Amino acid sequence: MGKKNRKISEEPTKATGKLPKEIEVDLRDRGVSEADVYVCVRTDMDLTCAFTPGYIVMTKNRLITATADPLSGEVHYFKGMETRKTRKIAADREWRFAEFDISDVKKTYIERTVSGGFLILVHKDKDDPEADGAAETVAAVSNHCMSSATKIERLCEKLAEGKEIDDEAMEDDEEEEYCPVCGMMYPDSDRKICPKCMNKKSIFRRTIGYLKPYKGRITVMFLCYLATAALNIVWPYLNGVVLYKKVLGRDENFLSFLSVDGNRYVTILLLLVLTMVMTKLTMQLVGILQGVMTAKIVPRVVKSMRNDVFGAMGKLSINFFTSKQTGSLMTRVMSDSDEVSGFFIDGLPYFLINVFSIIAMAVVMFTLSWPLAVVALMFMPITFFVSWKMLPRLWHRYGRRHRATRSLNSKIHDNLSGARVVKAFGQEGSEVKRFDKSNEKVRSADLAVMNYDNKFSALYSAAENLASLMVYIVGAYLILIQKRFDYAILITFAGYVGQLTGPMDFMSFFFRWFTSCMNSAQRMFEIIDAVPEIAEKENAVSLDTINGTIEMKDVTFGYEKNKPVLKNINMKVEGGHMLGIVGRSGAGKTTIVNLISRLYDPQEGTVTLDGVNLKDLSFKTLRGNVAMVSQETYMFMGTVAENIAYAKKDASRAEIIRAAVLASAHDFICRMPDGYDTIIGSSGRELSGGERQRISIARAILANPKILILDEATAAVDTETEQAIQQSINMLIKGRTTISIAHRLSTLRDADTLIVIDEGKIAEQGTHEELIAKKGVYYKLKELQTKALALKGIE
Amino acid sequence: MGLKNFEGADEEFNLEQMEAETEEMLRMRFLSDTNAKFERTAGGFVSLDIPEGEDGKAEHYDRVRVVRSFPFTAPNTYISIRTTEEKSKEIGIIRDIAKDVSKETRKMLEEQMSLRYFTPVITKINDIKEEYGHAYWDVVTTEGPCKFVIYMNSSSVVSLTDVRLMISDLDGNRFEIPDYTQLSAGELKKLDLFL
Repeated sequence: MGKKNRKISEEPTKATGKLPKEIEVDLRDRGVSEADVYVCVRTDMDLTCAFTPGYIVMTKNRLITATADPLSGEVHYFKGMETRKTRKIAADREWRFAEFDISDVKKTYIERTVSGGFLILVHKDKDDPEADGAAETVAAVSNHCMSSATKIERLCEKLAEGKEIDDEAMEDDEEEEYCPVCGMMYPDSDRKICPKCMNKKSIFRRTIGYLKPYKGRITVMFLCYLATAALNIVWPYLNGVVLYKKVLGRDENFLSFLSVDGNRYVTILLLLVLTMVMTKLTMQLVGILQGVMTAKIVPRVVKSMRNDVFGAMGKLSINFFTSKQTGSLMTRVMSDSDEVSGFFIDGLPYFLINVFSIIAMAVVMFTLSWPLAVVALMFMPITFFVSWKMLPRLWHRYGRRHRATRSLNSKIHDNLSGARVVKAFGQEGSEVKRFDKSNEKVRSADLAVMNYDNKFSALYSAAENLASLMVYIVGAYLILIQKRFDYAILITFAGYVGQLTGPMDFMSFFFRWFTSCMNSAQRMFEIIDAVPEIAEKENAVSLDTINGTIEMKDVTFGYEKNKPVLKNINMKVEGGHMLGIVGRSGAGKTTIVNLISRLYDPQEGTVTLDGVNLKDLSFKTLRGNVAMVSQETYMFMGTVAENIAYAKKDASRAEIIRAAVLASAHDFICRMPDGYDTIIGSSGRELSGGERQRISIARAILANPKILILDEATAAVDTETEQAIQQSINMLIKGRTTISIAHRLSTLRDADTLIVIDEGKIAEQGTHEELIAKKGVYYKLKELQTKALALKGIE
Repeated sequence: MGLKNFEGADEEFNLEQMEAETEEMLRMRFLSDTNAKFERTAGGFVSLDIPEGEDGKAEHYDRVRVVRSFPFTAPNTYISIRTTEEKSKEIGIIRDIAKDVSKETRKMLEEQMSLRYFTPVITKINDIKEEYGHAYWDVVTTEGPCKFVIYMNSSSVVSLTDVRLMISDLDGNRFEIPDYTQLSAGELKKLDLFL
């Protein structure tokens, strides 16, 4: 990339703002001065979609685009990879400019492609200002620079509407934020975590933190490990040197050391056997103790980790749960805590012990006989190397098998939950085929594991066996030919060689374990550290009593940035009044409700409750006063009574029954054999749609909110049930601010105001009578529902 | 359907028109050289003229949107020609652009589609690194070297066929690997995490 003749400035290029240096001169030549410029935004493509650096400059009456060929080998950076320095400022770029007149702009829009879009400008028709005139493509952007295009689109729209472009409109959008350490753009601007810079050491330290409460137990465990290691070293010594050389060999020094004379030889032998038995027994006991300790600590640590993760998840905004990345993350996190604590409790101490064992054994072996020690240990680097080389690949294959199994499992799950459809369409046969395909993948992954595993163990045991064989050969040679030492030491040695393999195995596998554990810990902390987008302000306002007036001012919102679902919504509901929201599906009705209950914050504009911005309001005030009955009824695991009292845990039985009666749920509850104590929820009794709906209404009645949101509350039930539920709802809405979304307009008869949403905008607003008189969308809908249905004799 | 009962009952409410609209939504119209004429326009778009449209009336569209019905499995058949507004409506379908339209028209439409479905093809994988729930890719594509980041989840790398992969980055920018078995052993190893 380091081509000659180029000055590369280290100056960061701002995404928006004043004119970039590299095109400043050219723009001056075109009669553009800094003062004329509304905004200058970056683009990353030319009109043929080739990745090129570029800009769009907007002045009072023109748009000027600049693009230049990329330098040879220039890397194109996307979100998450970009740093402040990646956009190269090169002096010798050949800029190509294009100009577009926007003094007669009628509208602008973005023609979206699969991974980007074209900014398109439509001029006014010369003869008929109402009609579309000629159109031009101004610029192309990938999704990475989409905000540039939407910004120009927005400003042009303002121009077209004849509005002034004020400083606020020109203001820089929130700039992408960059990690202060490596300068890389955060992959997710709402969660300021730089994956690259997440400190591994700090992860390690934080995980250790979870073990702190169990210091005492962990010390005991550690001692157990130590004892095991020590006894492991003693055992071959007893078995070899002591038994053969000292006792069977009747070593005088040894016997007199035990102050017994040679005649009571049998006693000594018995004593030795007893010692050996005791050693083995102690080893077993220590093993059991250590097992008990592990069993006591691990579940607790796992539990507290999971609690932290789950607690953090609860705090997260709803967006986190719907965003693309969570699905698998959640399930993984649960098993991650297992893995992490397993490593720290099992792996880490064992690692230390093994290091200790290897060193101690080596020392003992060298003191016994250095030539044999060299022979025995000679193979250590080899086995280590073999493991080091082969284990990652083995793990790799294990990973693939794991993924294949997971995909098979999800296929089974998918199939079972769709059993009705499969049967109805008679597709059992083809499902078996689909299953077979996944199953085949598991089989081949399994086979790969087995193959490699076999190879691995074969090689491994070959190396190990070779080591002990060599020890015997060299040992035999030393005994028979050189007569340098005796059989006892050889036996001891063979014991040590056998014992070396365990720690060696472990060491090679340990490093891999360590990395995968750190990865698991990372994922866990990622959730724990995630910053909720919807957070309570520090000194949030709490209101004791609220009136329930809700107002939306100039609200613009989209679930994904740059894709607004609601545009410029203005509306107001007085306290105690009822607002009906009508519109076709996908128009943005539920989105309005989501903003009022502050599951999301608007990107532009404000939502206020009694004049207080929801962002400044405490969660207690907001959540305590808003209740929702929606089409999706969620029943928690528990009794009917618990479900009704979900939002008011201390409700008395009388209150619960009162709420159930008001929700016309009392009768069917009493018909169930276990009454209010019937267990419902995922594993309990199945309730019908209408029954669930009535329980959720009872829940809302008991919560006694000042603001009630009904989101298609009766859409899923039959007409008869709807009538009953409608009556309960009429009871419920008295004295509350109610916002009701419904397809069936009859449900909204009593609404004080109705708004009709179409394509994210308020198309009509007014009372039922006003809207009927207007003969617009609402009228059309109403006529369609009453007359067209009456025509077919449905209603 | 007993429409007569209603005539005159309410003049403003035109049920007939409404039903016609509904019918229009359910209609399918096939376009070919015999009934449709596509032309390039000055702004880089394609216009469409249908001399004998519904009820024999001529239809004209300044700009049309060219959309593949099966972008991955059958990119040249069932091309939906649509209007360009946000709630875009279908004007008609071209069953097979290899057969139903002239070479020039085909070229014109393919140009439009190549822009709409612009997807760099990954030719070389330099590096893939996994960090904290994200994977950092350093690749060479048909559009030059690219560095991008994806979420580590199943929807970021999708297998379109047994060998064809589509990768979406954090912003939803797409990249494609038409046949991963053609990659070198070293590249495959880096990619193995996603297979």
